[in-house]
Amino acid sequence: MTDALLWRITRIGLAVVAASIALFPFVWMVRTSIAARDSITVDGLSPLPATIDLSNYVRAWEEADLGTAMLNGAVVTVAILVLQMLTCIPAAYAFAKLPFRGRGPLLLVVLACLLVPTQATALPLFLGVSGLGLADTLAALVAPFATSAFGIFLLRQHMVTIPDALLDAARADGLRTLATLRRVVVPAAMPAIATFAVFSIFVHWNDYLWPLLVARDPALHTPPLALAVFQQADTGQDFGALAAGAVIITAPVVALFLLAQRRFVAGVAGGELPG
Amino acid sequence: MTAVLERPATAPARPRRNWTAVALLAPAMTLIALFVVLPGVLAFAGALFTIDLTDNSWEWAGLDNLATVLVDPAVQHSLVNTLVYSVLTIVPSLVAGVGLALLAQTFTRGRSLLQTLLFLPFTANLVAMAVVFRYVFDLRGGFVNQLLAVVGIAPVNFLGDTALALPTVAAIGVWRAAALAMVMFLAGLTAIPTAVHEACAADGVTGWTKLRRVTLPLLRPVTVFVTVLTILQSVQVFDTIDVLTGGGPQGATETVLTMTWKLGFEYYDLGQGAALSALLLVVLVGIGILRRGALTR
Repeated sequence: MTDALLWRITRIGLAVVAASIALFPFVWMVRTSIAARDSITVDGLSPLPATIDLSNYVRAWEEADLGTAMLNGAVVTVAILVLQMLTCIPAAYAFAKLPFRGRGPLLLVVLACLLVPTQATALPLFLGVSGLGLADTLAALVAPFATSAFGIFLLRQHMVTIPDALLDAARADGLRTLATLRRVVVPAAMPAIATFAVFSIFVHWNDYLWPLLVARDPALHTPPLALAVFQQADTGQDFGALAAGAVIITAPVVALFLLAQRRFVAGVAGGELPG
Repeated sequence: MTAVLERPATAPARPRRNWTAVALLAPAMTLIALFVVLPGVLAFAGALFTIDLTDNSWEWAGLDNLATVLVDPAVQHSLVNTLVYSVLTIVPSLVAGVGLALLAQTFTRGRSLLQTLLFLPFTANLVAMAVVFRYVFDLRGGFVNQLLAVVGIAPVNFLGDTALALPTVAAIGVWRAAALAMVMFLAGLTAIPTAVHEACAADGVTGWTKLRRVTLPLLRPVTVFVTVLTILQSVQVFDTIDVLTGGGPQGATETVLTMTWKLGFEYYDLGQGAALSALLLVVLVGIGILRRGALTR
């Protein structure tokens, strides 16, 4: 056996081991979710359960009220995304292309806000939100994230590179500011906007701490919260249903990642990571 | 990596009040003031009061909250736990991240597939994964214990043992953080100019020597950045712990964030919760400044 062949085999072997560890929880999650209740522990280590039973999904969907949770998750995530786009794009454009007094200091404020994680301000934020009587409302789940310092900064960095000639041409064509934004700036900054959108959906679909604080009402539970509550309520060690619930709430983000992975990976690799 | 504050191409001679800019900025800046700046200030202000949520009364307490929090053994325990968790997570994540990136780089065909698979842990929903891991590490019938049984080792109570719970939760942290580190290191490796590889080949520098003398030193800026990012995420660990152990057994996995949550909403001492929040905020902003520094360099 030549050295080259040996090296090739070692490499592939290591890659298989690494990928197995990375994927194991996902595989085990799916495996447990389709196992009949008594065969979950009985079949132990076999990759496929002896009896396949999809009723776990029905139990998870009904007992954890995942229908409501998924709908809440979608509404909250989309509302946050739309509001962030409406607020971040104009602000980023102003920072990138419009001269105004105090631009530098104001941009520093935005940069400073990048350093403040919501985890550390969640408690005072909750005091404010409940003081306004907004606790246990959809608004409380959305409002704190209606804009994003991360988004403003990320988009601004890309809008700076838009050639001024392009904007001058738009102005010469008689386009007002909003029309310029819509027809010139947004298309030119689309890659950055898409990266930010993917991050935003990812972060807010998965968010757990903030909904845990403000959404006490089960009718307002978001997917991670509904699953966590379902697990705490579970006394019968119903791992099949829990795993089915985990599959249901994980599927949308994994699908999003697989669809937009180039953007996601490029963003992360460039150090452009929220939080 | 993007430079932080490059000067825009159009630097006008005299900036003036620009109503268009004001209109474009107003919504975002108002929301930032309301939801980032104000809570940040409130975290510090709230720490100085005894707050009663039932009638929203604030009573001046000065530095009492901070003093109480700092001498509270449970809080001290949570601070130590957070530190231990961070140490247990950071080094293995970095080593695994570099190793996986070097491995992925040796592939030409299948590299992007491998990168996708290895990156999946980072995209996972932490609550869902915690639910799965709780079962994987379960005392009776969990995957790991069944595996141990095959080689004749008695079942281990990973999440219920005060000595093992924190390392077990940290292992899950590594599983996720290594994925993030891998992607960043792989980007760093790809950015090394071909001329460097050619020069090494010409000088006969290969294998370990090349790794130690050339590749790793060139990865230094990435390493600094990944380290800071991993610290930042470790210090804020919450989701997995809340679902897996709830801070137990006997506070063995209590961290700063789970403790803040308990002080504020289980013991209803919001002032003390705010004091711990403020402390965490100072630490995180400090680390965040390091991160920005690593990013600009």
